[in-house]
Amino acid sequence: MALPLPPGLTPSEVGFLCEMEHVTVIPRQTLDGLELLGGPTGALKPPLPTPLPLWLALLLKKQRRANITPPPWLSVEALTQILDFETDERTAELFSPLPDLPPATTTAPLEGDPYLAHDSLELSAPFLKDAATARAQADALPYHWLEIGHLLITHAADDFDDLDAVRKLLRDLREVRMSKLRKGFEVLDAGGGVKMNGVGGMEIAEVRGFVGGVVDGLRRLNRSREESRKERETEERENGLGSSSYRDDEDEDML
Amino acid sequence: MAARLRGRPAHAPGPTYLSYTPNGKKLITVGVNGALRVFQHGSDNEPAIIDVLTDGHTAVASTNDFIVVGAEDGSVTKYSLLTNSMEEILVRCSLPVRDVSLSKDGEWVAVASDELAVKVVNTRDMTRIMHLRDQSRPVKHVSFDVSGSTLAVSCTDGIVYMYSLSSEQPQLIKRVDGLIKTLETDAEANAKVAWHPDGRAFAAPTATRDFQCVARSDWQRQKAFSGGHRADISAAAWSPNGALLATAGVDKSLCIWETRSQRLLKSYDDVQNTILAIDWHPTDNVCSYTNNNGELFIREDFVPGEHAKHLRIALQPSPMNNDPLSEISGNARKQLSNGDKPNGVRRSAEDQYLDDLLGPDAMSEDEMDFIEDDDGAGYAEEMNHVGKRSAVTDAGRPAKRHAPFAAWKPQIHEAFQPGSTPWRGDRRYLCLNMTGFVWTVNQDTHHTVTVEFHDRQEHRDFHFTDPYKYDKASLNEKGTLFSCRPSTQTQQRAILYYRPHETWTTRTDWRTQLPAGEEVTSMSLSESCIVATTSKGYVRIYSLFGLPLKVYRQKSMPAVTCASWRDYVMTVGNGPVDGDGTTRMLYTVDNVRRDELCQSEDVVALREGTELRNIFFSDKGDPCIYDTEGVLLILLHWRTPGQAKWVPLLDTKTMDRLASGRKDETYWPVAVANNKFHCIILKGGDVYPHFPRPLLVDFDFKIPVSSFPAGGVEDEDKDVAQQRNLEEQYVRASLQHALASDLVDSTNSTSAQRAEVPVLERDVDKALLQLLAAECREGEERGMKALEIASLMRDRTGKMLEAAGKIAARFQRDILGEKITQLAERRLVGLVDEEDM
Repeated sequence: MALPLPPGLTPSEVGFLCEMEHVTVIPRQTLDGLELLGGPTGALKPPLPTPLPLWLALLLKKQRRANITPPPWLSVEALTQILDFETDERTAELFSPLPDLPPATTTAPLEGDPYLAHDSLELSAPFLKDAATARAQADALPYHWLEIGHLLITHAADDFDDLDAVRKLLRDLREVRMSKLRKGFEVLDAGGGVKMNGVGGMEIAEVRGFVGGVVDGLRRLNRSREESRKERETEERENGLGSSSYRDDEDEDML
Repeated sequence: MAARLRGRPAHAPGPTYLSYTPNGKKLITVGVNGALRVFQHGSDNEPAIIDVLTDGHTAVASTNDFIVVGAEDGSVTKYSLLTNSMEEILVRCSLPVRDVSLSKDGEWVAVASDELAVKVVNTRDMTRIMHLRDQSRPVKHVSFDVSGSTLAVSCTDGIVYMYSLSSEQPQLIKRVDGLIKTLETDAEANAKVAWHPDGRAFAAPTATRDFQCVARSDWQRQKAFSGGHRADISAAAWSPNGALLATAGVDKSLCIWETRSQRLLKSYDDVQNTILAIDWHPTDNVCSYTNNNGELFIREDFVPGEHAKHLRIALQPSPMNNDPLSEISGNARKQLSNGDKPNGVRRSAEDQYLDDLLGPDAMSEDEMDFIEDDDGAGYAEEMNHVGKRSAVTDAGRPAKRHAPFAAWKPQIHEAFQPGSTPWRGDRRYLCLNMTGFVWTVNQDTHHTVTVEFHDRQEHRDFHFTDPYKYDKASLNEKGTLFSCRPSTQTQQRAILYYRPHETWTTRTDWRTQLPAGEEVTSMSLSESCIVATTSKGYVRIYSLFGLPLKVYRQKSMPAVTCASWRDYVMTVGNGPVDGDGTTRMLYTVDNVRRDELCQSEDVVALREGTELRNIFFSDKGDPCIYDTEGVLLILLHWRTPGQAKWVPLLDTKTMDRLASGRKDETYWPVAVANNKFHCIILKGGDVYPHFPRPLLVDFDFKIPVSSFPAGGVEDEDKDVAQQRNLEEQYVRASLQHALASDLVDSTNSTSAQRAEVPVLERDVDKALLQLLAAECREGEERGMKALEIASLMRDRTGKMLEAAGKIAARFQRDILGEKITQLAERRLVGLVDEEDM
């Protein structure tokens, strides 16, 4: 029996995966380091801030054993700045860029020396180090921004200074970016494309069904044209010898 | 002055307003008729008259050179006082003007009219205009603060809107609700905000006919002047030094209040008409007011003789509930050195503190007379007590040029308790560190103390009512130490109170009293002892169970502060006087168990003009200081007498996060732990952290070896930046290695500590290897430097030199490789490097 799920990640799956991102917590009690599948976590020693996977941070937060420090991009100033970028006329076509990628890690005998590098590993989103910790870049939304922002404002509401403003800005950002995505798909046609640099994981998951439907529908509408094109192509292939020799001649002339 | 009070008919009967020029030479009145009157101070001659086109004037404000007059026809006009003629119309409103206010520099005038928006117009360029539109109803009064950066707008909806004008775009910073009454714009009653001259508070008439003070810092209500009026207040004015307040009511009353005690000094009952405007003469004991009948009264000897001294004293603090100034806290020390001025007018500690607070540009006397009037020729005109050059001779106070005959006093460093903050509102932190924080709330008759821990599992937060009013606290893993000041009223002596967090007997907290007249200036709690420095110059050491272990006299006095870690006690005191007139801070590190002096009377290396902000031991037990310039220093080699030196760990001013120049922040040091600097970020010019408790932030160390632009570097610069980074890494690793090996050499170290030293040694060598690789890459000609780097390797097993040789081989620097091999061989057979001989 085929799996009834559509291809690709569903929004709930994306929401689950984002819990692997690291956030900074301020522990309120000591806890030894844990050996987890995703790697060992540091020992918790209040009040030293420690990065932990989001799911563990939320668990500790629910048990009131830790406070979560919201990442810098989830502050009112940063979100306002990003929203300004999104709504600015000059950059209206673009999504605000993702954070800078970390430099490629090398397996050189001396770290940080590209000259001695044997091979290098380019990292990309998601699950970059410090995407959502207190050391994250303040002026860019990381790949999982929507999910992390939502989880933090629902479960760690008391750790925000100005919760309502953050919530409002997040909603604004989401709406602005979604409308941009939808507007982009107006031009979707055979051969059309939308530049999706900077679009987050949840946003992709959300529009996937819609876009897939549009593209499929367009293909169905264009089926007759497509078929006639295919016929023409097979025809050409059948009596293609002449034309190809012609082309060859031309090429030789060009040389 | 005639005994009977007689008003001077200035204008046609009707509302009349007045203003003194800041130099006190002229008094301007405006009224309903089409003329302005300019009275000369101290002369009974007929006033000068400026005939104007407008009538029904409603407001006037003045500088020394010009006045600004608002009228019911909506115009705001500027008149010159030099020529007594009209200059220009600054702005025209569609509805009647109700109030105008000039900033202190005369640059901007704020105009309140029956329109919704308040206009702020530049007096020299009327095209520069700002609109303040946040209020929903017409505005009755506007009032600039002392600095001219904040404008208080009293709106008819009963809210005071506070605008910050320091930026290009005016910003609403606060709505103060429930302070003033809802009034009509043409009511006689008044809701004007009067800024106290010290700038820390403002006051406004309330609906309950009081005059309520509100702090500028946290917008909390402070003391109130109540019970003087039976009807709404119609006018109010602070005396120029802020020591007195004059208020007038719609019920034809006129009162003088003392600011310090909010006491009614005198109530005049000879007022015939409602007073609409009061103004004090800037220097003399003269107060003038105008009423709603077109009359002006100039009252000489306004303040009764027995209280007239209030006018001659220096700037007084505004009446705050919990003034750090009124109680000598750990952060405001009693002025022993120059509290008494030779002229008989006592400058209290408060004024000194204010001068420090306001800086050299404000009201301070000492910094302002940069011209040294040493020959007495008088080219440097003396300041009077308001900080203005006096217009008339101030008989109450001898000129300051007698001062040089008085003995010169050095400036000493104030005592402070590490980690504590002064009062702000009704609360302050007594202690703030990595274990937790202790804060106290002033409840007038007593305090309530709360101790909260970062680790809530290990310790339980506690809270108690504190009748002793503890003013210092020290907190660590084992317990909390409090101390309070002696009180002369209750004959209470200074008390040390220790409360352990965990006991296995019923009760082990204890109190101990200090001898009479002795006061704790700073104290510290470590894992094994309690240290207190006292006002009598003693260092008192107790065990954790209250047993006095030692008492000795500190060598450098008065004490500044102290810190302790295990058995090591560090005391800091004022030493000999330096070239700039301040004392040099000296520290002593003492092991109280072994009774050994590690460092005796060594210098706390601070740059000229900087102060100590905090002092603490790092988690590894090395003394650290943080100064007001934002530099964190650690003491190296301090266990060997005479070897100690201060090494900078981090200069917060050069951190990457400040590189953009957009952030304006300073840092409140909390601790050095886990090889990081833990601090609290202070924004917007704050000096101390306050409530709600901000989060701790940590920064990596960065020794100021070189400065290079961080972020956004070009590719060529990237290599240079990388190189600089490696150099800094090398210096930092060597420092950490030195600190660790010091610890291992001179104490009974644990195995973990001993194991750390080789690891740190390897870090040093690793940094050197990377530097070596960078040199090799640069080219053959850098071989000499590369060899020098190789010879700096700490490792004696030869492995690191072997690795260095490999790097040289990889870059095909064969000569260098040979030299490194030679070096390794020499080391292997035990030959020392040439430099060591």
